[in-house]
Amino acid sequence: MGGATPMEALSRFAVDTPLVLWLLPLALLPFRASAQRVVPVAALDAGPADPLSRAIGWALRIAGSLALAGLIVGIAGPYRRGETVTRTGIGAQVSILVDRSGSMNETFAGRQPSGAEESKAAASRRLLGDFVGSRAHDQFAVTAFSTAPMLVVPMTDRHEAVRAAIRAIDRPGLDYTNVARGLAMSLSQFGAQGGTVSRALLIVSDGAAVIDPRVQGTLRAEFAKIRPNLYWLFLRTKGSPSIADKPAGEDTPQAAPERHLDLFFKSLGTPYRAFEAEGPEAVAAAIRQIEALERDPIPYTEQRPRRDLSWVAFGVALLGLLVLVAGKLAEADVRRGRRGIPQAAEAPSERIAA
Amino acid sequence: MREHLARNLRDGRFQALAGAAFLVVLALVLPAVPLTRTGVSVLAVVDITGSMNVRDYASADGKPASRLDTARGALRDLVTALPCGSQVALGLFTERRPFLLFTPIEVCADFAPLDGALAALDWRMAWEGDSRISAGLFRAAEMAASLDTDLLFVTDGQEAPPLPSTGGPRFEGKPGAVRGLIVGAGAYALSPIPRYNDRGREIGFYGSGDVQQENRFGPPPADAESREGYNPRNAPFGGVAATGNEHLSSVREPYLKTLAGETGLAYVHLEGPGGLAAPLRAAATPRPLPGRLDLRPVLGGAALALALAAFLFPMVRALPSGRARALTLKKA
Repeated sequence: MGGATPMEALSRFAVDTPLVLWLLPLALLPFRASAQRVVPVAALDAGPADPLSRAIGWALRIAGSLALAGLIVGIAGPYRRGETVTRTGIGAQVSILVDRSGSMNETFAGRQPSGAEESKAAASRRLLGDFVGSRAHDQFAVTAFSTAPMLVVPMTDRHEAVRAAIRAIDRPGLDYTNVARGLAMSLSQFGAQGGTVSRALLIVSDGAAVIDPRVQGTLRAEFAKIRPNLYWLFLRTKGSPSIADKPAGEDTPQAAPERHLDLFFKSLGTPYRAFEAEGPEAVAAAIRQIEALERDPIPYTEQRPRRDLSWVAFGVALLGLLVLVAGKLAEADVRRGRRGIPQAAEAPSERIAA
Repeated sequence: MREHLARNLRDGRFQALAGAAFLVVLALVLPAVPLTRTGVSVLAVVDITGSMNVRDYASADGKPASRLDTARGALRDLVTALPCGSQVALGLFTERRPFLLFTPIEVCADFAPLDGALAALDWRMAWEGDSRISAGLFRAAEMAASLDTDLLFVTDGQEAPPLPSTGGPRFEGKPGAVRGLIVGAGAYALSPIPRYNDRGREIGFYGSGDVQQENRFGPPPADAESREGYNPRNAPFGGVAATGNEHLSSVREPYLKTLAGETGLAYVHLEGPGGLAAPLRAAATPRPLPGRLDLRPVLGGAALALALAAFLFPMVRALPSGRARALTLKKA
């Protein structure tokens, strides 16, 4: 604000209905016509020059002009534009990648939820919903994936919209877990700008899948470019293999996709943590940890609302009108009434204003 | 003194100016009047199946535009046209069910993410290739009911695979319980459907042999006996391969109108990337939104009229009298 040039300061003023401003020439009307009564005087030159009368006459003209101009501008609805201010707060850009495969609708015990039981999707909905908006300056993007990746909400600081996306994640899911394309899309959510911003990629899934070796190279390059902090919130179903478990037989990606996805993430060279959660409490603990880890300065924009200026215009109009009303009240007619002389002395204005 | 004052108070121009000043005072002190406006709360479900890639619309610069592009443009236009406080949820449709991307989002405060999500709608989000419109529509109606919103279902109406001769599934809900609009996307003439490979690149169009032309599940149709090579046991659908136009696509308006009648929704054809706001507001449940009516322009306008009258009155009155004086001068 301080460094703004006068032109910039001026450009921040605007009106709602600019067409009304075409009436503004009407504000010159008081210089042409008067609201005062016309009093015929035989010869104006007969009277002495009266500076006071002249001044009152001009005051009435200017007041009339101000009154009309103020009303016209007031009707047009003047305001000062809102502005966006960039500041620095504490937070991070978080791209959330949510698994929407069908198994997310089961409980941590791998059953259909019944009674008070909570499905994995419902638990992550509840806990992620608390996470979003717990800090004012975080930015979030939501991507869903099953067979295909779906961009749900682009990177935004509108937390209500992000929560609306989180609220949808315990709806019935789709078929499969195809994590590779989901990862690519959630990485693309970070956009190109901002090298200093803390970026976090949070994957919420209950399973893993084989990442095609051909895609692995592309993903590696993307991770190296964006360098997000990677968090994998693995919602493990009881009895299913853990990230660390080595399969009894052959150790291939097909036999133990979770373990190999973990190995792939570790090999990326970006900061990476996996949280294995076997219940809602563990999910909550993991989210608290992520929150504590992502504490870096982030530039955020603050929207200053526009300020209404109608009252200024109407105030000016009111001042002008009050002067005009006073002028009308002080009118006296020289010819009328027997007490002509004191009136003329009292109200010398009308001769000039007439 | 009093005499003069009384005369001044009776003066029409004084009264006009005083009235104008009074109206301006009112404009300065009166708060905006609260009133209710009508908004909508709607779940938009967009068909993203293959036939929505048909390019049978023209974009603003005259280039062909796909049905999905046009529908996306129409939805973005709709979001800007709805009054603040209205809410829009978004879902995708392919296979036989809608998939909810997000629950309702307010269209003004959260415009940027909503617009971004609409702009990102893509056929590549589809998880399966089937397009069972009626099943998807019925489940979308259930979804809208669970979200307590109206429904806006954008589709071209092409069932893939084609419906069996016995017809599609029946609507089990209460017709009219969910209000809203079916939007038919596509031109009325048949157009070829673009085909994509598994990396998402376009590789031509579907040919007549690439798609199922007739649904041969369930009992055969009534006219099967008259078909060539018909055999009740070995060839109940006739002896020759089915032919048809299922590899080409146009908007299936009669079918969509039937579905609209069955579910109690209204039907409208998508004419271009816009124009959905009026039919939606006509079909949707009106939802009261808190609004405010600013009285200041009205009061200010009345004050301006009074003040102008005070200044113009002597000029108007002067006109005929001036002419009269001119006449007397001539006579003299």
